[in-house]
Amino acid sequence: MTCDELDALLPEFLDGHVTDEQRDAALEHLATCESCRLVVDDLATVNRLYQEHGRLHITPEARERIRRLLES
Amino acid sequence: MASNASILDLYDRLVDGVYTLGYRLLGDPHLAEDVVQDTFLAALRSIVSYRGEGPIEAWLYRIAYRAAIAQQRTRRDFPTDPVDIVDLAGAGSVDVERSVLTLELAAALDRAIETLTPPLKAAFVLRQIEGLSTRDVAHALDVSESSVKMRLARARTILRTELKGYL
Repeated sequence: MTCDELDALLPEFLDGHVTDEQRDAALEHLATCESCRLVVDDLATVNRLYQEHGRLHITPEARERIRRLLES
Repeated sequence: MASNASILDLYDRLVDGVYTLGYRLLGDPHLAEDVVQDTFLAALRSIVSYRGEGPIEAWLYRIAYRAAIAQQRTRRDFPTDPVDIVDLAGAGSVDVERSVLTLELAAALDRAIETLTPPLKAAFVLRQIEGLSTRDVAHALDVSESSVKMRLARARTILRTELKGYL
């Protein structure tokens, strides 16, 4: 797999939506290509940061107020 | 009433997801609450016409996205400076979990996502934060799956650049 081929596959690769063959080819490329490894590591970290910290919570007061509105 | 009970169940499961989408698109906790209210009231009115053509979560997020865009068109005096938005976030309903984050990282995540255009934000929030599948995001935003993938790739590239100092 080339750098361009990996780049084209990145969205699916980062989401884990690749075939076993594609995953193996990507990992083989990443084992020898530091620049691609940096990109993949960074994007995986971006995903992780937002998965862990990106979700917000409505205040309990607003949650209850709107729920009561829906119940009425 | 069955539809009312269904909406309440949806509300309990997805209220924070809709709030997150509204907040990320509009940057204001009060407008995000309005998006939540508008979304679920609209869902209550129209759930009888839901035909199961896609997951109900995608159906609801489609309503939420439209509600947020409608809010965006009518809002007034909204701060566009990311610093102001961060200040607003600090003033109100920001996730309690943020107390364990460094304030700097939390502000950086907010500033970074704020640089995305609404279509990129919506795709990223629904896919990456709310965990919808690419197909369901496409359904919610009424675009093709390839368009969602393109938006996700662009969003991630921009966020990577914006968060360079934290990676």
